[in-house]
Amino acid sequence: MNHTVKRKIGAKTWNEWSWGWFLIAPTMIGLIVLNFIPIIQTAYLSFFKSGDFGRGNIYIGWENYRKLIHDPQVWHAVGNTLLYTLLVVPVSIAIAMLVAVLLNGKLAGRSLYRTIYFIPMVAAPAAVTMVWRWMYNQHYGLINHGLSKLGLPAVNWTTDPQVAMLSIAVIGIWSVIGYNMVLLLAGLQEIPKDFYEASDIDGASRVRQFFVITLPLVSPTLFFVVVTTIIQAMQVFDVIYMMIDVSNPAYDHTVSLVYLFYNNSFKYSNKGYGSAVVMVLLALIMIITFFQMRAQKKWVNYM
Amino acid sequence: MRFFVQLTNGQKKEMFRKKQPFRYRPPSPTIGDAADAAHPKWKLGVIQLKKKSLATVLSILLAAVTLTACGNGNGNGNSNTSASPSAAPTDAAAATQAAGGEKAELTYAIWDSNQEKGIRTIADEFESQNPDIKVNIEVTGWSDYWTMLEAGATGGSLPDVFWMHSNEIYRYANNGMLLDLTDRIGKSEDVKLENYPEGLNQIYNLGGKQYAVPKDFDTIGLWYNKTLFDQAGVKYPDESWTWDDLHSAAKALTKDGVYGFLAPMHNQEGYYNFVYQNGGTIITADKKSGYDDPKTIEALDYYVSFVRDGLSPEVYGDAERADLLKNGKAAMGLFGSWNLSGFTENEFMAKNFDVAVLPKKAAQASIYNGLGNAVDAKTKHPEEAWKFVEYLSSKTGQERQAELGVAISAYKGAADKWVDSNKTFNIKAFVDMVSYGVIRPYSNTTAVWEDKAYEALKPAFSGKVSVEEAARNAAKVMNESLAEEK
Repeated sequence: MNHTVKRKIGAKTWNEWSWGWFLIAPTMIGLIVLNFIPIIQTAYLSFFKSGDFGRGNIYIGWENYRKLIHDPQVWHAVGNTLLYTLLVVPVSIAIAMLVAVLLNGKLAGRSLYRTIYFIPMVAAPAAVTMVWRWMYNQHYGLINHGLSKLGLPAVNWTTDPQVAMLSIAVIGIWSVIGYNMVLLLAGLQEIPKDFYEASDIDGASRVRQFFVITLPLVSPTLFFVVVTTIIQAMQVFDVIYMMIDVSNPAYDHTVSLVYLFYNNSFKYSNKGYGSAVVMVLLALIMIITFFQMRAQKKWVNYM
Repeated sequence: MRFFVQLTNGQKKEMFRKKQPFRYRPPSPTIGDAADAAHPKWKLGVIQLKKKSLATVLSILLAAVTLTACGNGNGNGNSNTSASPSAAPTDAAAATQAAGGEKAELTYAIWDSNQEKGIRTIADEFESQNPDIKVNIEVTGWSDYWTMLEAGATGGSLPDVFWMHSNEIYRYANNGMLLDLTDRIGKSEDVKLENYPEGLNQIYNLGGKQYAVPKDFDTIGLWYNKTLFDQAGVKYPDESWTWDDLHSAAKALTKDGVYGFLAPMHNQEGYYNFVYQNGGTIITADKKSGYDDPKTIEALDYYVSFVRDGLSPEVYGDAERADLLKNGKAAMGLFGSWNLSGFTENEFMAKNFDVAVLPKKAAQASIYNGLGNAVDAKTKHPEEAWKFVEYLSSKTGQERQAELGVAISAYKGAADKWVDSNKTFNIKAFVDMVSYGVIRPYSNTTAVWEDKAYEALKPAFSGKVSVEEAARNAAKVMNESLAEEK
């Protein structure tokens, strides 16, 4: 670096630099204003007992964190958030991968299928959840109606503490498949056809081709999909918020960290505590992402 | 590429709208034109960089970036965005005012879209009498309303005139967000506090200062399915009904997949009413929990017994509750007067249902509450805003509100006109209950302890713990929460 500075910088270099900065400026400004500053503010706020309307915050040190450790709901929320992630990520990516491979082949009406799979992503989560709520309805929902036709007992999809998280995970999986599928599909299209042709000549089966050619070559995209899906799943909020009230018996078994943050910050006007809750989520996501970055060399195969 | 950008947003809460993982995905690994993507150099951009330290920094970055979706709600960023819709008209109005000295534009924020039409009519009448004032009505749904208002209060851009509620008045009044109306009421010809129910005045009175004028009130009625009653040969409920009548009727009506009564996990439209009918209390005068009062526990036990005995389904959500009634799955249910327009529009309800006063035990009781019209302390048009509130609160305004069927007007005698506004149901029952109505229990942090109590009482509804134990837990958490109150 010093070496560069000592030398006279040519007009061309300057020009290149300024262009470079100019081109990344929109993203940088966006990141700083919308992301970095709020993160710092949130971290800062988590050390305060917040006053009403952003005034009269009182510094209380680690008090919010101390309270948090003894709050059983926070631990419920951590467990629920991780469980949700564990339910959604593997299943949704496996299905997305399968669909992407199928759609990557020669198939009549391919673009139609792609669109169909993508539609859940386009729909507003709130609207999607409303529809699912109808289907899950205990008394006259479509699913329980179907069960009764088959002579099976009705299930309390949204109020049974043992079942509610599964119901929510199903919505989560259903919503994210299309998005992951399109990403993976694009990754699949990067793979040169020669590999498949060569392996065809060698007599490899389709399944073997998938594991030996497709999977290793799509791994960079897959890695990206895994990382973002995990982060997205950790932030689950709207589906739970729409389906589960505080008065719902399944609340303790479904409340996520973001929901808890929302309730504390906005419903109970305790922004300091809400910020502390969300810092836990930040720490969790950071730890998980860090390990994923470390693990990437083990399985991600950059061509 | 555009394709994706459109798809990632659309989250329900505003603070989540920025969730776009694409922002930090520099060389698009996937989509885009084939030539670009086929280039061997793309490899998920930054992530592939070899240096360990850099990877670590980036992992933190990645995590941090996505997290802001949550974090941002705390800072001012969110506040400003959500406040802008309400702020804009005010600023525009101020600008016109300054420039030409012409019309003063007022923003009137409300949360019930059912009332919008009627209120618009009243506002038009006000405008025709005051040609120099223009009123813009803004409707925001209940929960977003408070987020919007909080953002407005934080950013100093509240609507000029807006609805207030017993759950929230303390925070707003205590922090100087509301214009003190005491002197203006004192000087006013049209607004005299003795014309409104004392309980409602008290909600909006802090330290002897009046911060809002009661607009309307609501009570809870017993809705019943006449057809099901006829089929079962049960007499319709009336003011002579006791708890025993309710229980035996529920028993007679429970058959063929129909539940006799709805005992949902709900306070205002549920067990609060029974608690006060039994002489119990939810919050005492010295701001202690009443959940451990034996009378309260007795009432809760009676209420939960409907679920225990299979006379009521276990029901938790608000929408589910009304749907059970609308689909003929439940014969009776407690619902507030604000449901009236929705129930009238429902053909099944209009045809089969009617409403009666609540049954009694030790006493008659129905939880009642009322909104108030408040004015922003920092409004640019305090005089015009007060003029509007004065009109809304005057005999004329209140009677118009009743006639138009907007809400049960708070003004003495105006409620009778409201009774005539709906011929479908016997809505006189709602007005009859005011004489023994109990104001919905509240303190400075109602929203907090109400939820804590819900959490504690839930296991009793699902039969996991005894009602007594749940009630004692509720009292404990509620008292802890009240102790933290300023």
